[in-house]
Amino acid sequence: MRTLIIFIFFFLSLSTISFSQTKISGKVLDEKKKGLPGVNVLIKGSYDGSTSKEDGSFEFETEVEGPQVLVFQLMGFKSIEIAIHCEGNAIQIPDQILVEAITEMNAVTISAGAMEASDEKKSVILRPIDIVTTPSAMGDIVGAFQTLPGTSTVGNDGRLFVRGGDASEVGIYIDGMRVGNAYGSTAGNVPTRTRFNPNLFKGTFFSTGGYSAEYGQALSSALALNTKDLSIRSQGDLSIMSVGGGYAHTLSSEKQSLTFSANYFDLKPYQSLVKQNFDWERAPNGWDIELSAQKKLAKGGLWKILARKESGGMEIWQPEPGQEGRGQLIRLKNKYSFAQSNWKNAFENGWTLFAGAALSSNFDDIHIDSIRLERKNQLAHGKFTATKDFSDRLSMNTGLEYFNHQFDESLVDLNFSRDYVDHQFYLFTEWDYYLNKNLVFRAGLRAGKSSLNKEQWLDPRASLAYKISETSQVSFAAGSFSQMPVENLRVLNQALNNTESNHLILNYLLQRDGITFRAEGFYKGYENLVVFEGYPQKPQNPTNLGKGYAQGVDIFFRDRKSIKNTDYWITYSFVDSKRQFDQYKSEVQPSFAPKHNFSVVAKHFILDFKSQLGISFSMNDGYPYHNPNDGEEMSSKTESFQSLSFSWSYLPKPNLIIHFGVNNVLGRENVFGYRFAQQANSQGVFESIPSGLVAPRFLFLGIFLTLSKDKNANQLNNL
Amino acid sequence: MKKLILTFALSFLWISLSMASDPAFEKAMKKQIIAMDQIANAEQSKEVANGFLRIAEAKSEEWLPLYYAGLIHIEAAFRFEVNKDQYLDQALKYIEQVEKLAPANSELTALKGYAIMGKISLDPASRGQNLSPQAMQLFGKAINLDRENPRALYLMAQMEYGMAQFFGSGTDKACGMVRLSLELFEKEESIINEDYILPKWGKRSAQQMMNNCN
Repeated sequence: MRTLIIFIFFFLSLSTISFSQTKISGKVLDEKKKGLPGVNVLIKGSYDGSTSKEDGSFEFETEVEGPQVLVFQLMGFKSIEIAIHCEGNAIQIPDQILVEAITEMNAVTISAGAMEASDEKKSVILRPIDIVTTPSAMGDIVGAFQTLPGTSTVGNDGRLFVRGGDASEVGIYIDGMRVGNAYGSTAGNVPTRTRFNPNLFKGTFFSTGGYSAEYGQALSSALALNTKDLSIRSQGDLSIMSVGGGYAHTLSSEKQSLTFSANYFDLKPYQSLVKQNFDWERAPNGWDIELSAQKKLAKGGLWKILARKESGGMEIWQPEPGQEGRGQLIRLKNKYSFAQSNWKNAFENGWTLFAGAALSSNFDDIHIDSIRLERKNQLAHGKFTATKDFSDRLSMNTGLEYFNHQFDESLVDLNFSRDYVDHQFYLFTEWDYYLNKNLVFRAGLRAGKSSLNKEQWLDPRASLAYKISETSQVSFAAGSFSQMPVENLRVLNQALNNTESNHLILNYLLQRDGITFRAEGFYKGYENLVVFEGYPQKPQNPTNLGKGYAQGVDIFFRDRKSIKNTDYWITYSFVDSKRQFDQYKSEVQPSFAPKHNFSVVAKHFILDFKSQLGISFSMNDGYPYHNPNDGEEMSSKTESFQSLSFSWSYLPKPNLIIHFGVNNVLGRENVFGYRFAQQANSQGVFESIPSGLVAPRFLFLGIFLTLSKDKNANQLNNL
Repeated sequence: MKKLILTFALSFLWISLSMASDPAFEKAMKKQIIAMDQIANAEQSKEVANGFLRIAEAKSEEWLPLYYAGLIHIEAAFRFEVNKDQYLDQALKYIEQVEKLAPANSELTALKGYAIMGKISLDPASRGQNLSPQAMQLFGKAINLDRENPRALYLMAQMEYGMAQFFGSGTDKACGMVRLSLELFEKEESIINEDYILPKWGKRSAQQMMNNCN
């Protein structure tokens, strides 16, 4: 073969020795038949060619002879090639039409329900750095998302509540792999946080509905976190905080990197200095170790590992309504591990393959006075996906998933335990078709099967997006979503079926440099919600007889441009939701779904002081609660929730950050609901205790130092 | 049979000789390089870049044509009213395309860092954190690969200067680097003749930066 090529080459070289000139001229047009300037017109294999002028016309001379290939190239357009024959006479080429290529940069993307935090893509609502710099978030990933449309803040819970759904309706994924028990275990109205550090991730995708068929077992929302690729340099990161400290060390080379970190926190010293509302026996404390590694493989693949182990606990006295004294002592110990590994490779033939495995394991040891409860929850997830771009118009994403879910709870002293094991299988496929760069359709199907209740189900989903102008677009999404009931109900009745929701979403998005405006209307129907007898601490006979709905509008406005060195966003979400669920006998507005939710976040950079000041304010019109002294279910409402937070980040040196933050600066006594006595007192009244904030304010001070023995840095010092 | 092998061997030798010095290639390159220095607007920038792309198309084994096409796209993004992100992405695409042809090439590595520097300049607040270390690493690598490369050093000095200004620390280090780069530019000039088609740009910008240092 090689010799043959050499031969051909040899004779071709000889044949180029000739001098007759051929003049080639013509015109290049775009799809609208307008002249296209800047097109590179060339004869393949020669240096001859020209660039089209303002009106699309071109003209050049060439010395090559015989059959030739004429190529038309322009950045952002699909190249075309035509055959010509050069023999010294002038050639007039018929008009050529170049079609714009559909690329990530110019094509419309489906924005219904979706909010992305990414540096790379244009259509972003949030940047990764915003997650760490949003004052009210205090470095918690979910805290930052609570300032986005479609969410409500539930201050005594801390988790993410989306559009009238409860916190379990949000599925959390790392690199596409499901994370079990993503929030820290907590007790007695102490708000929790996400277990994972925002610095692990390069981008996040947060959907408040209508999301891809790739995600299941989530009725309301998918939060997909994508870990960083290779670390760029070896470094050590030291953090010293008012609530603890930690160290992370990164080793990096061109092909691989590895980060190991260990952290310890204990709120005890802090709580001894700052007044608390709660009656702590032992302040929350814990440690974690984490390992993450990335490796570039020889054939272009990327292999990632993330493993984490943590342990923590707290002890708290919870006063009982209508009773004297400190109340119940709740003691919680938690052990958690998460490990996942995934491999991804984009092949040159347009196929991208992904394979991943993840294991989440959570163990809670809870003492309520003298009762001891142990809970084990383990989720194993295996996933394989194949995506393929058949052309710039048609692409496919298909995958297979397996889940192994084990749950076990026992009352240790009574020798009583119950458990279940569920094997779930999923198959999903999703197809995107671009009719042109302004209009895209997506259709997906997700099929599932559970071994525990022998249920099989199918969730169809569809969406479309249309670009109205260079800066604005509308999208629409609809779909069905299924989710197994929460563990402590499922273990009671293992025949419980999936709860179901149906989404309808209409979205408008306007993005002009520095300004984003987003408005979204939605309707979500719920079916087969679980209802039970008794009360949440002691549910009995759960069945799938509940139902409900949520509907509303949310509005988001972000401006990074109008005020110099200032970036702010304003969010308003209206949710009208009613559902029959848990112990409720009728459809009620859930306590976690306030009607009017408003938040504003502003960040101002002061260059002279190398500082970023942040301020955020959240409010809603109050949380509904059930007052047993009042006949009707859930007919009472708390006062409006309002919280103002402030933060100050100071960068004295490139490798040193000092961060100070205060939550609820004004010390407003927010109430999230009331706990009522199970029995009426002698006057026939159910006594109550408000569920409020852990402390009037939360203060945070952290010093973050990066130590890098960068080879480059050394080198520069030597120069 | 022997004769056949000999013929092949000879023809192969001839081809490799002709490749080592390809006057048509050099002539075409020189013409474009001269045109490159005259670029005054986006249209001319496109024309010259297209010229280099034509050479790249014909001589796909050469790294220089795409190097220059990339450089012109980066410069256009800095100088003219164009879709800057698109131009810089395109430049990165060209660079990545020839990285396989010329691995561990100091000039290409430095150019890649230059493109990333351009990306940072479009949105420093959100891209800086992630991309700055990447650019610094590429300049460091380029210096390592060729300690005589004045462009790698000058670009690194630019980054250092920007960071020093931001953090209010001294610009001594950045200025020291640009001074050194100017020495390397002088050294490079002594070997440049009219047949020189390797990268030689950057001296004027380095001098401008030096003026700010004094």
